[in-house]
Amino acid sequence: MRKYFHIFKISFEEELAYKWNFILWRFRNVLQIFLTYFLWSTVYSDPTRQIFGYDRTEILTYVFGIMIVRALVLSAKAMSVGNDVASGDLSNYLVKPMNYFKYWMTRDIASKALNLIFASVEFAVLFIILKPPFFFQKDFGVILAFLVSIILAMLIYFLILFLLGSIPFWVPEIGWGSHFLVTVVIVEALSGSLFPINILPEVLQSIILATPFPYLIYFPVQVYLGNITGWALFGGLLIAISWVGVLWTFLNVVWQKGLKVYQSFGG
Amino acid sequence: MDRAIVVDNLVKKFEVTEKAPGLTGSIKSLISPKKKIITALRGISFAVQPGELVGFIGPNGAGKTTTLKILSGLLYPTEGFVGVMEFDPWKRNPEFLKQISLVMGQKNQLWWDLPAIETFELNRAIYEIPTRAYSENLKELVELLGIGKLLNTPVRKLSLGQRMRMELTAALLHKPKVLFLDEPTIGLDIIAQQKIRDFIYEYNTKYGATILLTSHNMDDLTNLARRVIIINDGRILYDGAFEELITKFAKEKLIKARLSNENNISDLERIGKIKKLSFPEVVLSVPRSAAAVAASELLQNFPVDDLTIEEIPIEEVIRKAFKGGSGK
Repeated sequence: MRKYFHIFKISFEEELAYKWNFILWRFRNVLQIFLTYFLWSTVYSDPTRQIFGYDRTEILTYVFGIMIVRALVLSAKAMSVGNDVASGDLSNYLVKPMNYFKYWMTRDIASKALNLIFASVEFAVLFIILKPPFFFQKDFGVILAFLVSIILAMLIYFLILFLLGSIPFWVPEIGWGSHFLVTVVIVEALSGSLFPINILPEVLQSIILATPFPYLIYFPVQVYLGNITGWALFGGLLIAISWVGVLWTFLNVVWQKGLKVYQSFGG
Repeated sequence: MDRAIVVDNLVKKFEVTEKAPGLTGSIKSLISPKKKIITALRGISFAVQPGELVGFIGPNGAGKTTTLKILSGLLYPTEGFVGVMEFDPWKRNPEFLKQISLVMGQKNQLWWDLPAIETFELNRAIYEIPTRAYSENLKELVELLGIGKLLNTPVRKLSLGQRMRMELTAALLHKPKVLFLDEPTIGLDIIAQQKIRDFIYEYNTKYGATILLTSHNMDDLTNLARRVIIINDGRILYDGAFEELITKFAKEKLIKARLSNENNISDLERIGKIKKLSFPEVVLSVPRSAAAVAASELLQNFPVDDLTIEEIPIEEVIRKAFKGGSGK
C-alpha cells in the first residue's frame, strides 16, 4: 500500500513541476466557467423561458454539474497506457514488483484529487462573485447515490481507457486514432456531456442507456439533480456496476493475451 | 542454487506486419495486412553461474536484447526453458522482480520533470527497501558514480552520461542479485563509457552480482567480461573465455592515424598491413602484441597528427568466428 501512496505523492509533484503550465491550465478552467455562465444566462435572459423542460436554475446546475463531473471523470491519466504499450515504455513498469493497473489508478486518483482541490477553490470564489441561482441537493440519500455513481463512472472510464490502451499490443501504430474515436466522438456524444440524453427519442434512449457511456456523465448528473430516483436509480446503478464487472473481466483476458504478444519495442 | 541463469533451447518468434513503402503501401497494409513471422532466437542454450559477468555480443538484431527481455520476464518465450534463480521470469513473481534489474541504454525509468532523487525514493517504496539499507546503498552508489551534486537537478537537465549514471543508481538501489544491462554505454563519450565500465566491474566484484551485459562495443568486453557469448541471427556462435576469442579470432588491432602530409606514405607498409589509405586518414592492421611498438614507430617516423589504437569491429570478429565454425 505504501508504494501506491508514494506514487500518489510523486504524481502530485510532477503535475506541479511546470508551474506556468499549471497556472495556465487553472486559468483556462476559470475562463471556461465564466464563458459557460454568461452563455446560458443570455439564453435564459427571460426568466420564465424553458428549453427541453429545463428552466434557468436547472440548466445552469446541469451545465455546471457536467463541468464538474467531466473534470472528475474524464480527466484520466490512464490515457497514456496505449502509448506505453506501443513505445515499449511498459517494460519499465513490468520489471518492477508493482501492479501496472494500480499504478495508473493511483496516478488517476492523484490527478483527480489535485483537480478537485483547485476546482473547489475556484468554484467557491466564482460562486461568491457571480451568485448564480443554483440547485443544491439536500437529500442525503441522493448525495450518497451521486457519489456512488461518480465512483462507478470513474471506474468505467478507467477500464475503457485501459482497454483502448491494449489495442497497440496487436496494432502498435494505431496511436491516437482509437482514442479520438472513442473518447472524443463516442464518449462526448453518448455520455450526455454535449446534450442531455433524455431529449432523444425513447428507443434511442433505451439503447444508449444499455451502453456504459451515459453512466460516465449523464447518469451521475441526473442523479444529483434528483431526476432519477427509486427503481430507475437502482436499475441504473446496477447497470453501471455490471459494466464495471464486464469491462474488468474482459480487460483481464485481453491484458493476459496482450502481454504474450508484447514485443517490448525500443532499447 | 548452483546456477543463476539457465536457458535451454530457447526460441522466440515475433509476428510483424509488413508494409510496402509509401502511402499506397500504407493503404494496402491497412486493407490486407501481410503478416510475417520473424524468428529472433532459434534455440539457444547456456547457463550462468552466480557472480559471473557475461558479455553478450553480436550485431544489431542478433537477438541479444530479446534474450535479456525474456530473462527479465518482459517477453513470452515461444519455446524452450528459461530459469533465473529458479524462478520462471514470465510469471513475474514479486520476489523474483525484487532480485533483478534491467537497465536499457535507450530507455529511461527516471521521472523526466523531477530530480532523480524522487525516482530513487519511489523505487525505495516500490522495492520495499528498509530505510536504513536504502540510505546506505544510495550513499555508496552516489560515491561510486560521483553524482552527489546532481541528485536535485531535474532529470531533463542532465547530460546523457549523467542520466545513465542516475539510471544505474535507480536500478541498483534494491541490490539486485542478477543484473541485465542492455547496451549500457550506447551513445556515451569515451570517458563516460569508462566510468560506467569501472562501475560495473566494481559492482560485480563487490557484491558478487550475476551480470549479463549486451553490447556491440568490443571495448566494453575487453575490460569487463571474462566470458563472452557471441550471438548472430538468433544462434550462439561462440560461448567461452574472452581471451580465447581474442587469440583465436581477433589477432590484430587497428591503428588509425591522421597524417599531416604525404611524405614517405609508401613506407607505411613496413609498419603494418594497410587496411585503408585515403589521405589524410590511414588505417593499419598490426598484430595484437606489436600494437604499441608499431604505434610508437609510426609516431617517430611519420607526420602524425592524431592516432588511436582500436579493437577490430565486432562484426569482423563475428565474421571470423562464423567462418571458423561455432568454436565451443
